[in-house]
Amino acid sequence: MRVRIRFEKLGVMRYVGHLDLMRFFQKAVKRSGLPIKYSEGFNPHQIMSFASPLGVGLTSEGEYMDIDIKEDVNSKEAIKALNDNMVEGLDIKTFKYLPDNAEKAMTAVTAASYIVTYKNPKDDICYIDNLLDLKQKFFDEAYAINIIKKTKKGERELDLKPLIYRFDLSFKDNVPVYDFLLSSGSSDNIKPELVVKAFHEYLGLPEFDDLSLDIKRIDMFTGESDAFISLGDIGDDH
Amino acid sequence: MKKLALSDDILMQIDKPARYIGNEFNSVIKNPADVDIRFAMCFPDVYEVGMSHLGIAILYDMLNRRDDTYCERVYSPWPDLHKIMKDRNIPLFALESQDAIKDFDFIGMTLQYEMCYTNILQILDLAGLSFLSKDRKDGDPIVIVGGPCATNPEPIADFVDIVYVGEGETSYNSLLDLYKECKAKGLDRMAFLRKACQIPGIYVPAFYEAKYNEDGTIKSFGPIYEDVPAKIVRQVVINMDESPYPTKMLIPFVRAIQDRVVLEIQRGCIRGCRFCQAGMIYRPNREKSVEVLKNQAKELLASTGHEEISLSSLSSSDYHALGELMDFLINDCLSEGVNVSLPSLRIDAFSLDVMSKVQDVRKSSITFAPEAGSQRMRDVINKGLTVEDIIGGAHMAFEGGWNKVKLYFMLGLPTETDEDMQEIPRLANEIAKEYYATVPKDQRQGKCQITISTSFFVPKPFTPFQWAPMYEAGEYLRRAKVVNDEMKAQLNAKSLKYNWHHSDVTVLEGVFARGDRRLAPAILDAYLSGCYFDAWGDFFDFDKWLAAFEKNNISIDFYAYRQRDLDEIFPWDFIDCHVTKDFLKREWNNAMAGSVTKNCKMACNACGCLDLNTGVCHAR
Ligand code: SF4
Ligand code: SF4
Repeated sequence: MRVRIRFEKLGVMRYVGHLDLMRFFQKAVKRSGLPIKYSEGFNPHQIMSFASPLGVGLTSEGEYMDIDIKEDVNSKEAIKALNDNMVEGLDIKTFKYLPDNAEKAMTAVTAASYIVTYKNPKDDICYIDNLLDLKQKFFDEAYAINIIKKTKKGERELDLKPLIYRFDLSFKDNVPVYDFLLSSGSSDNIKPELVVKAFHEYLGLPEFDDLSLDIKRIDMFTGESDAFISLGDIGDDH
Repeated sequence: MKKLALSDDILMQIDKPARYIGNEFNSVIKNPADVDIRFAMCFPDVYEVGMSHLGIAILYDMLNRRDDTYCERVYSPWPDLHKIMKDRNIPLFALESQDAIKDFDFIGMTLQYEMCYTNILQILDLAGLSFLSKDRKDGDPIVIVGGPCATNPEPIADFVDIVYVGEGETSYNSLLDLYKECKAKGLDRMAFLRKACQIPGIYVPAFYEAKYNEDGTIKSFGPIYEDVPAKIVRQVVINMDESPYPTKMLIPFVRAIQDRVVLEIQRGCIRGCRFCQAGMIYRPNREKSVEVLKNQAKELLASTGHEEISLSSLSSSDYHALGELMDFLINDCLSEGVNVSLPSLRIDAFSLDVMSKVQDVRKSSITFAPEAGSQRMRDVINKGLTVEDIIGGAHMAFEGGWNKVKLYFMLGLPTETDEDMQEIPRLANEIAKEYYATVPKDQRQGKCQITISTSFFVPKPFTPFQWAPMYEAGEYLRRAKVVNDEMKAQLNAKSLKYNWHHSDVTVLEGVFARGDRRLAPAILDAYLSGCYFDAWGDFFDFDKWLAAFEKNNISIDFYAYRQRDLDEIFPWDFIDCHVTKDFLKREWNNAMAGSVTKNCKMACNACGCLDLNTGVCHAR
């Protein structure tokens, strides 16, 4: 039986990297006593996989991990057993049994939503007054947003426009807050930093620093752009 | 959100920020307002090393069992963060509360190896405290150190307020009770220390004075006040089964070197190899009962979720119920998806059988530590391992499917000749020969791999070799070359591989191991010139050390290379490690005569531990 677990990664846990988080969960699942399945061989390991890794420094309300278990456990009880083994900043939200044909979290992701803002309330961008209009021109009215994307193999030109499904802009205490829904997953993985960087370049702002952003992932989705489904909406409670 | 001492911009520019945030599962959270004593327990090395240390885990658990005490952890900030903390004046903090440790009551540090001495200064420096004990004031934390190097704490005596000599489980509670009482009465620092030095195992360096002869050796060493004890007796746990052991251990986010449950099965060793400090200072050998160990293993696996367990002891093969313990681990733990990682066991039919159950024979290797290549040399060091043991063990292992062998040796041992060194690769060659004779051609998976590693001998206090000279760095390298040349001449040279250590750091280790109080200014100068993390090859800068020695008129020759007189007063003589100087002298003479001494299970050699009435002495 495959189960999908949704969890939050907030607060100081943002400084814990993906590999370290995986190791934390292996031990937490073991402590919780859930009947997780192990692989065969000399070094058996838990059958556990994570949806798209979250970078160090980011927080998230919608992280996912799939595990295989040997016997049926009540979802509520499983959530409690896991939460008893979490630390501050990690919180288990759902524990759903997946249908047999469900794709693995790791490969299923096609989009992710983010709320992005600036750590420094005096960032240069806070002093641009017609930002909403400029954003309208940069995104909503554009046919294409061509950028140069650096990859391991070198640089390639990329049109961001069809990969951005939502780009809303609002303000909190005068600081811009972006609400993004971006293509995600293995083929066209668009990080929010990349979009904000392109926007900064359009605005003619000086050198952009990834670390100036406070990024929170809100959720991950599967399916096509006309009908995205949250990874957390697949499957049922037991 | 939990409070952090470091800002987001700092955490995002340093390596492995999770080292500094605390929040680990099983870490203890208390309200500082509810306690009388705040204790910062520090392992003066990087987080991943410090988090692996069992002794700290035991003390952390033990001190936090007290409602009046909040014990938190501190590790050495890595150089990237060190620089930022210095530049921005950020005081060193404890991981749990993230509060500055300069406001704590105690800073405790463990001295696991000599090369951490500059890291002690780094901790004091970043904490914002004076380096020297005499410059610290009422209201500053009491700096207390312990651990194996506390058996000769003299090189760092000026930096610390208290040295705890012995096993931490025994005297800490009395010390903390006394501290609380003194604090309540409003007594000052000196008054507390004066009372503290009456507690067994507590050494307050400020109350002692050394006088020197013209040749630099010690003329006298003793207390400056009449009521201060002249001898400090090393504290020893008498009953290992009843001694506090944590039922929970912290789960670090950043992978620790020991990412597993570590179960201490016994303390001390029965063997008495003459170079080995651990084998002497942890005497007598004291075992835990197998029932206690089974319970501790179960409890720790459940509370940590670790998927691996390993045994810790100096010589696990000597544990009386190893078979039963292994059966338990294999039957009860392996089936639960827990890997069992074995300590290095003596290679015999039993250990090979166990190994084949818990590891992949084709990928793993078997290990021998003969420490010396010739039988003559092994008799000198009292290592009771014969060629027959080694070849016989290897033969069985090759039949069982192994084809990798690791061999550990020391170079520069007292009386060692070129012939002794050449015996090292010859022995390795014999093992390779045994492989080709044992395993038919069609069953071989390529060549066998025999890896020789040598380290350089460092004479340590409280060993029979404490009188021995060590060699200069160049001579060590010459010895490594003798081994290397002889290896190339072997018939099976293609199956042999040789690794050796760098020697500069070994020389420094040798100076500190048998050093005295006069070294402190040089250690301080070295730190001020940028030396720390000396145990990490990347950061070790020998030239800076040489400059610090020169500036302070420290002669390496005097501390490391000279042959000491049998009646010389040593800086550590005032410590009573139970093992007597007479016994050590006897063993030194036995070494020079090449005569072997029986281990504690076979015969008692009256080393001085009988009075403790525990462990192997008592069992016999
Ligand atoms: S066997 Fe020898 S080297 Fe090993 S711990 Fe015991 S005394 Fe030391
Ligand atoms: S007193 Fe005897 S049995 Fe006890 S540790 Fe010493 S030599 Fe071994």
